[in-house]
Amino acid sequence: MVGTAAHDELMGELAGMLDKLNKSGVKITRATDFNADLNVDSVAVMDFVLEVEDTYDISIPINLLSEVTTVGDFADVVARARADN
Amino acid sequence: MQKTLPTVNSGLPFRSEGFRTVVEALDYAAGGKTGFNFFDGRGDFSESLSYADLRERAVDLAGRLCGAGLKKGDRLAVIAETTPDFLTFFYGCQYAGLIPVPLPFPMHLGGKDAYIGQLKRMMQSARAAAAVASEDLIGYLREAAEGLQTPMVGTPDEFYRLPAGKNGLPKITEDDICYIQYSSGSTRFPHGVAASHRSVAANVQGIVNHGVKAGPGDRCMSWLPLYHDMGLVGCCLTPVFGQLSVDYVATPDFARRPLTWLKVLSENGGTISFSPTFGYDICFRRAGRARADDYDLSKWRVAGIGGEMVRADILERFSETFAPSKFDRRAFVASYGLAESTLAVSFAPLNTGIEVDAIVKRDYSLTGQAKPGNDDDGENAVRPFAFCGGPMPGHKLAIRDDHGNDLPDRLIGRVYIWGPSVMNGYFGDPAATKNVLSKTGWLDTGDMGYTVAGKLVITGRGKDLIICNGRNIWPQDIEWAVEGLGGIKRGDAAAFSVEDKDGAEGVVVVVQCRATETEARSQLMREVRAAARLVAGVDCTVVLAQPRSLPMTSSGKLSRTAARENYLAGRYDAPEADMGLRHAAYSTLTAAGGD
Repeated sequence: MVGTAAHDELMGELAGMLDKLNKSGVKITRATDFNADLNVDSVAVMDFVLEVEDTYDISIPINLLSEVTTVGDFADVVARARADN
Repeated sequence: MQKTLPTVNSGLPFRSEGFRTVVEALDYAAGGKTGFNFFDGRGDFSESLSYADLRERAVDLAGRLCGAGLKKGDRLAVIAETTPDFLTFFYGCQYAGLIPVPLPFPMHLGGKDAYIGQLKRMMQSARAAAAVASEDLIGYLREAAEGLQTPMVGTPDEFYRLPAGKNGLPKITEDDICYIQYSSGSTRFPHGVAASHRSVAANVQGIVNHGVKAGPGDRCMSWLPLYHDMGLVGCCLTPVFGQLSVDYVATPDFARRPLTWLKVLSENGGTISFSPTFGYDICFRRAGRARADDYDLSKWRVAGIGGEMVRADILERFSETFAPSKFDRRAFVASYGLAESTLAVSFAPLNTGIEVDAIVKRDYSLTGQAKPGNDDDGENAVRPFAFCGGPMPGHKLAIRDDHGNDLPDRLIGRVYIWGPSVMNGYFGDPAATKNVLSKTGWLDTGDMGYTVAGKLVITGRGKDLIICNGRNIWPQDIEWAVEGLGGIKRGDAAAFSVEDKDGAEGVVVVVQCRATETEARSQLMREVRAAARLVAGVDCTVVLAQPRSLPMTSSGKLSRTAARENYLAGRYDAPEADMGLRHAAYSTLTAAGGD
């Protein structure tokens, strides 16, 4: 999955959607940690999740969100949800 | 295709009195056509479970649970997702004489490990004999149950496949425990409130007949979590005692799309729905996503507020924003309650909206007097507090000083309550029970407030509890998480809440930091913020302070109240923190612990 053109495209789109949350202007990579690097508040995270769900018309189960710590984890969850659709 | 269950029952007269147990109430409700409806994250109807079907499934499951060797009084832990399965297990336990223990579900990004630890401690505290979770969450539950004496752990389907019971079901009496609810105590040391059928019946019938005056034609709507008293008692038990249909949106769906609340109310004609203030706030903030006249909220006659401080200014913004959707501000009903009193203590009168008492800030913080005033600013600036009504019939309320003396009207003290809704105690924890419940049955709520002609006003909390977005957060949980970071020792952190000028609550964590390099200090601040978010799901302000600058009480315990005062006075801003704060030796704090 990682390294494919489809994955790179998804990462690019997620980075675009994360732009307004990225106040400190860190470079978004798979390793970017939502809590420690982006330092975004929980309401903003929910807004971001909502935007992603609406963009791809998917629903991300809560149990998967609790396992997400990095942008890469999140991209994998999104990719899986899109594949299930 | 299934349709939503009706608002008005047929073939069954409305009855709201004389039920002694939850079993009696569901037996009666099962004679009608009403029940629970489930809506998805976009507010579309997905399925229903009538009280008749629920009773049938609950009785069937109860037989299987008893047949599997579970004994009356055993605890069954169940993750309280808003699903027909959860309700089947909750009510199945009632018929089997088992005690259901609703457990939370994970809500925070990256919170998996903290969540599993929380489940483990709750199951341990309840000494659960069985535990149930959906396919989605069973992996976490199994991990949490490892090493515990919980012989039966499974998904709902696994339990439904147990052999059908051959023997009869036990008789349920008013003295039996109806459920154990973990909303008290820190996640590290959870206290489970054990509620008897007697207190549930008393509280719920008080809510139905006195608080919301429910009747035929009423319909409930809720997105509140079912592991919390407002959701469990208010929106899962109360409707059964009044044979009212309920429309549910799952809490995680509400968190993502709050306006689903209003959509479901609008499209299904909901008349009764409760939320903490923050629910109304988040709808106001998201209103931009919808047109204000998208909804018809004209039937919503009880827009209840509970679970945290009632904030008149936020509610006013909500009612202005949704006035084009025919929201009537007189529908607001301020209430006060806590799990230790089942759920409800008092309700403001219906059809009047929020009534505030503006009291002079200076008097209230200096002398504890709640003196009415009307200045906006300056010496006599006032702060508005909402009236939360008088205690429900059969219950008593008292405001007392630190020595236990009753205080007259308009003096602020600790709020005590007495009556049939008060819990028997915390499950398996007589010491914690003794701390809050007197021999004569008076419960120390831990909240501060005053009365005016029998009407209660809550001004804050006596304990260090932090309430954020309607959730109770114990400062110890954040402090312990911070103390687990590299270079931080026990007693180095103090967490407390501060209010901004509008009364909104924010969390501050003061951390004693030995590092002097800028990079190390900013790294620590990031780590502290991340730790607080993981353990408690809150965003906090981090302040680094000099070693030994956190204040302690005379007994060597961390004083969060004094730390808050120091913070507000700006004493942690300068590197040369006030040396006068070194009340006690650092070692005393380490020995005594931070609690």
